[in-house]
Amino acid sequence: MTCRLNRVWLVLAVAASLAAGCGGKKRPPAVSTAPPSEPAGRTQPTEVPPAGEPGPDVASLGPESARGEEFTPSNPETGEGGPLEDIHFQYDSASLTDQARSTLEKHALWLQSHRAAQVMVEGHCDERGTVEYNLALGEKRARAARDYLASLGVAAERLRSVSYGKERPLDTGNNEAAWAANRRAHFAVSR
Amino acid sequence: MELPASRSRASSSRRRSAVALLAVAAALLPARDSRPAQAPPSPPPTIVIGGEVDRFAVPDCIPRKGDEASREVCRTVTQVLRADLQFENLFKFVPQSLMNAIPPMDPEAPNFTDWKGIGATVLVVTRAQVTGGEATVELRVHSVGTGQSMLAKRYTGRDDNPRIFAHQASDDLMSLANYRGVARTKIAFVSDRDAVPGRRTKEIYVIDYDGYNPRRVTVNRSLNILPNWSPDGRSLAYVSYRRGNPDIFVASIYEGKSADLTSDKGGAAFAPSFSPDGKRIAYASSRQGNMDIWVANVDGSSPRRLTSGGALDTAPTWSPTGQEIAFTSDRSGTPQIYVMDTEGLNVRRVTTVGNWNDAPSWNPSKQFSEIAYTARLESGGFDIAVVDIATRQVRQLTQGRGSCEYPSWAPSGRHLTFACGRGGKWQIAVADRLGQTITMLPAGPGKNEQPDWGP
Repeated sequence: MTCRLNRVWLVLAVAASLAAGCGGKKRPPAVSTAPPSEPAGRTQPTEVPPAGEPGPDVASLGPESARGEEFTPSNPETGEGGPLEDIHFQYDSASLTDQARSTLEKHALWLQSHRAAQVMVEGHCDERGTVEYNLALGEKRARAARDYLASLGVAAERLRSVSYGKERPLDTGNNEAAWAANRRAHFAVSR
Repeated sequence: MELPASRSRASSSRRRSAVALLAVAAALLPARDSRPAQAPPSPPPTIVIGGEVDRFAVPDCIPRKGDEASREVCRTVTQVLRADLQFENLFKFVPQSLMNAIPPMDPEAPNFTDWKGIGATVLVVTRAQVTGGEATVELRVHSVGTGQSMLAKRYTGRDDNPRIFAHQASDDLMSLANYRGVARTKIAFVSDRDAVPGRRTKEIYVIDYDGYNPRRVTVNRSLNILPNWSPDGRSLAYVSYRRGNPDIFVASIYEGKSADLTSDKGGAAFAPSFSPDGKRIAYASSRQGNMDIWVANVDGSSPRRLTSGGALDTAPTWSPTGQEIAFTSDRSGTPQIYVMDTEGLNVRRVTTVGNWNDAPSWNPSKQFSEIAYTARLESGGFDIAVVDIATRQVRQLTQGRGSCEYPSWAPSGRHLTFACGRGGKWQIAVADRLGQTITMLPAGPGKNEQPDWGP
């Protein structure tokens, strides 16, 4: 399950390079070694702790599958423009509006006729409020949309959810229109 | 409760100026600051910065050799040492003009009469020389009144970052006053400066407390956010989307390794926070459906849920004793700060003013029982506020800088960092705990946010 989710998501992440074939591609290491910031600051007498020990420049996190399934809909540059349009939310709310419900009903129909499609429901928030709270709110939004799709008969195993909080706004503007556009659930489809 | 020395600082916000004398209201200083967990190097008993109004002179560093490399190191040492000591917010500085008015000093045998004449009681002499790429910086601290040596230290190392010599000297001076210095601490933060085009990735970086010496920590070209230092300064917990979901990782930053704590558990996990003893991590997770506070061992084992119910509970932060955790919950209808014990019991609300209070950071000093947080004010923007846990009194630290968010205390609890900005432009700020002096750090390009002040 996690495996599949990884795959779907990695496919999204590397969509642009898919043509080149990302399966088995070497993944970058997760963390670089922060070199000691100081010239070895020894004191005489030695009262000062040694600067950070030298370590390898980089270390691999180990193998990770990036083999993906075929994937088309979203624009890899923006992550937008899939077959299922976004739904939007009120400020600081994860409740589905009537309009959102009606959009989700259309999505459910589309998913009935595209039975291989899998959906990652992304919850997004506007920039107001804190990182942590918006991550939690985005999670609630994504789950609300996912659960409604499931209640309409879409098999739960075809649906995943993830929150991006306010980390990936669609519109980086600092105004009502931008905020409204960013309070959304996005549907990344793979099939 | 404010330190008298802090109040006197109010009129002296010229942190980066070349003012060079400092005076410590040091009689009150010992025993009022928090100390590092391990015993600090204790100065010889005869060395005490005390008395009613000790006045410190920090004249220009003297190069031992006439070459440009030695002069360059000296220039940096002078400038950074003064900036460090000013930042500590405990000292007063007498103008450079007074020091210029006395004859040049013989660093081996200062004429203490001269220094006494301009009101100095403590003289801080620095000298430097560079030989074959190695720099040697000497720090001598004298009592002007008695001519006694209070401290003599020699620092050696590569000459490519002479700032560290000044940082060490500043911390050693602070130790004389029984304080934990801030000069060698570091701040981790998040930036999009190396974002992969079109993918809106973010990575985690580390800078010195003054914004210099930026280094990149994560290199996985995913979304990496919410860094949190381990108490020993050797690890950073953070949240990465590299496996698709927000999950918690712990990076050993001097070994270039990272461990995955939560991605096999399902749901989202974020907002990691190391316990003061470094043995546990509190975080927010939706693995059982609702967003709750969890605590696990640092390797991710034995996760335990502390909160329940339908509310969003996020952003845990530990009390200095490790016996309580503050967090944000919207159980009252709006996000507010609560405190509970580590069993999840004795929950009580701390913030009572405002309809959005979030991102708490508990002052790690036992001397100050207070929590910094992000508050939405009537203007609609967000600002940094601090609430006294006992009295519930709130002081607002920021105003008119766009939004300011994500406060994090320095280990000493006498300063804090946060990010300010609007839209795509955010930068890291540092301030004293009363918010009298706020400085934007030269942290580098990009949107810089989510700072965490570490050891």
